[in-house]
Amino acid sequence: MMNTTKLICTIVLTCSASLAHAQGDAARGEKKFEDCAACHSLTTGENGVGPSLAGVIGRKAATLDDYRYSPALKRSNIVWSPQTLETFIADPQKAVPANRMPYAGLTNAGERADLIAYLQKMSK
Amino acid sequence: MATKLNDVDVVIVGLGWTGGILAKELAEAGLKVVALERGDMRTTDKDYAVPSIRDELRYVIRHDLMQNTARDTLTVRNNPSQEALPMRRLGSFLPGEVVGGSGVHWSGHTWRWTDMEFKVRSMYEERYGKSFIPADMTIQDWGITYDELEPYYDKFEHTAAISGKAGNLKGQIQAGGNPFEAPRAREYPLPPLTPILCSEMFDKAARDLGYHPFPRPTSNASRAYTNPDGSKFGACQYCGHCQRFGCEANAKGSAHITVIPIAMRNPNFTLRTNSWVTKVLKDSDGKKVTGVTYTNILTGEEFEQPAGMVLLCAYAINNVHLMLLSGVGEAYDPATQKGVIGKNYCYQTGVNARLFFEDKYFHPFMGAGGSNVTIDDFNINWGFDRGPHGFVGAYNVGSGFNTALPIGYRPVPAGTPQWGKAWKAATAKWYQKAMNINASGSVMANRNNYYDLDPTYRNAFGQPLMRMTFDYKENEHKLGRHSADLVNAIARSMNAASVIPASARVEPWTVVPYQSTHNTGGTIMGTNPRNSALNKYLQSWDCHNLFVVGANVFPHNSSYNPTGPVGALAYWTADAIKRYVKNPGPMVQA
Repeated sequence: MMNTTKLICTIVLTCSASLAHAQGDAARGEKKFEDCAACHSLTTGENGVGPSLAGVIGRKAATLDDYRYSPALKRSNIVWSPQTLETFIADPQKAVPANRMPYAGLTNAGERADLIAYLQKMSK
Repeated sequence: MATKLNDVDVVIVGLGWTGGILAKELAEAGLKVVALERGDMRTTDKDYAVPSIRDELRYVIRHDLMQNTARDTLTVRNNPSQEALPMRRLGSFLPGEVVGGSGVHWSGHTWRWTDMEFKVRSMYEERYGKSFIPADMTIQDWGITYDELEPYYDKFEHTAAISGKAGNLKGQIQAGGNPFEAPRAREYPLPPLTPILCSEMFDKAARDLGYHPFPRPTSNASRAYTNPDGSKFGACQYCGHCQRFGCEANAKGSAHITVIPIAMRNPNFTLRTNSWVTKVLKDSDGKKVTGVTYTNILTGEEFEQPAGMVLLCAYAINNVHLMLLSGVGEAYDPATQKGVIGKNYCYQTGVNARLFFEDKYFHPFMGAGGSNVTIDDFNINWGFDRGPHGFVGAYNVGSGFNTALPIGYRPVPAGTPQWGKAWKAATAKWYQKAMNINASGSVMANRNNYYDLDPTYRNAFGQPLMRMTFDYKENEHKLGRHSADLVNAIARSMNAASVIPASARVEPWTVVPYQSTHNTGGTIMGTNPRNSALNKYLQSWDCHNLFVVGANVFPHNSSYNPTGPVGALAYWTADAIKRYVKNPGPMVQA
C-alpha cells in the first residue's frame, strides 16, 4: 500500500511538473528572475558573478569565452534546453556536482516553469 | 619629493561603507571626488566566488582581507604606567583593507542605537543622580538625537538589504519584533532569515522566562532584493562562511556591490587603490585642510592630492591615527584631561555559555552571519533598573551560529583533554550537538582608555605607530557579572546534558584572541570643541573643510554592533556636506 501511494505521488508529481512546464508564464518568470539577477545578466557579453544568460537556450554549457567556468560545468556536456534547465535549476549540485553556482535550487516546479518560459522568451 | 596632482573638490581616505556612501552621494551632487584606498580592488566574481572563497587558512588564519601588520599596526597596553608593545599579528579586532573595507567581511548585524546612547549622561544623571556616574567615566551626550537620525537609519537599512522584523512602527508595538526598539517609520526591507534550531530553542527558553526574543536584524538578504539605488542582491544561501569572508551570492550588504560600483560609473569619481595616505595637510593658519599626501604602496611613489575638502573614511582606528599624525586638533592627555584627539577609546565586552545536548543536531555549518535570536530586556530597555546593580550601560543576549568554521569550530564539554584520542572522539561527538548563548556588553568611556602616538615604534613609512591604552573597569565587571548570571539562568532552564557556564571577565583585556572589530571613539562628536573633536555633522571643530566618519566618532560604545549608526551617520553627513558646499564654514558655532 505504502509503495503504491508513493508511486502514485511520484506519477502525480511528474505529471504536474510537466503540466506546469507546459504552462510556464513568462511574465511571472520575469519576476522570479529577480532571484537570479544579482549574478546573471540577460545582456550579451555582460558577465557578473555568473555568466550572461543572453541566448542561453540552445547553448552548450560553459562555452562563453569570457567567463571562467567551473571544471565540473565544463565537463558536463549539457546543452541548455527547457528540460536540462529544469533539472539543473531544481537542484544544481545534484545535477552537476561541484559546479560553482552558489544557489541551493528552486524547489517549486511551477516557479521553475515560469522562469524557463521567461528564459525561452528572452533567448528568442 | 611628492608629485603634486590636480586639485579636486573632495578627497576621501578609505573606500568602505562610509567612503562608498559619501563617494556616491557627493559625485551625484556634482562634486569631483577622488577616493584613496590602501587595499586592492576585489570583486565578487573574481575574488569571492566558490570554491576559492571557502579557504579558512587564507581568510581566517592569514587574514587575506585585513590590514597587513607588517606595514602598520598598533602598540597596546592596559594602562598608562605600562610600556606598550606592538601587535605583530592581528588578534582582538580585524580592520579590513580592500575596496569595500570591513563591510566585505562583516556578518551584517545592523542595529539602531537609541537616545539611551545619544543622551547617555543626561538620562543617567536625571534618573540616578550625578554621583551614579564614576568620576573617571568620561561619558557625554553625543549632540544628536534618534529622531534626527531615524530617516538615515532607514536609508542605510534599505541600501544594505536588512532582513528583520519591526518591533515598533511609529509607536505601535509589533508582534514578533523587538518591543524595546525606538519607533521606526516603516518595516525592514526584507523579512527575517529562516530561523535555525538553536535560536528557536533560545527563543522558547527566553519567552518562558518572560523575556522578549526577536530575530536579529541583519544585512543578509533573506530573499533576492533590488535596493532603491538599483543594486541587486541574491538570496542568502546559509553557507556558514560569513564573518571574515566575502559573500559569493551577493547576499551580504557591502559597499563593493552597492554604493561603490554606482560611484565608479559616475565620471565625477576616481578611485586610486594601493594608495596609503600618510598625512592630512593644513593651510598656514591651520584653519582649513588643503589635501593629503599619499604613497603608492606598489611603486613607492609619493603624491600630494590637493582638495577643497578632506573626508576621513578609513577604519575607525586609522582615522584617529591620521588625525594624530597630521596634528589636527589637540592630542588628548589623560593626566590633565586636556585635548580631544584620541579621547574616549571604547571597546566591547561579553560572556558566553556553551550548551551540549545528547539528542540535538544543530547543523552549525548551515547559517547566515545574522542567524540569531536576541533579547534586549537588559539592553535598550530603560525599564530595566540599573540602580541596584550599580552599572552604566547594557547588554544584549542572543543565540545563533555565525561562521562555525569547519576546522576552527571544535566545541567539547568541560574536562575534555585538549589533544589526542579522547579529544578527537569528543569533537566528533559534540560538533553537531553544541550551541552557545552569548551576551554582548557595552563599554563606557574612561579617562584612562585612549589613543596617542607611540614614542618608540614606527610603521613602514617611518611614522609613529598608534598606541592603544585600554582595560575594562569596575563598571564593565559589574555589567559582566549581571550578564553572566542571566545567561546562566537561561542556559539552566534548557535542560542540556552539560553546560560550560558563562563567567564575567575580570582579568585584564588582552589583544591576543579575536574578540570583536567594534573599536569606537578617538575623534568623538559632541556639543562643543572643549569636549569633542567633531560637531554633530562630523565636521572638525578645528578645520571646517575636514569631516571624519566612522565609529571613531562615537563618544562611547554600546552593546550593539556599530554599523547601523556608522551607515546612518555617513548618509547624515553626506546631506550636511551638500548644504556645506553652498555655504562653507563651521556648521555649528563653537
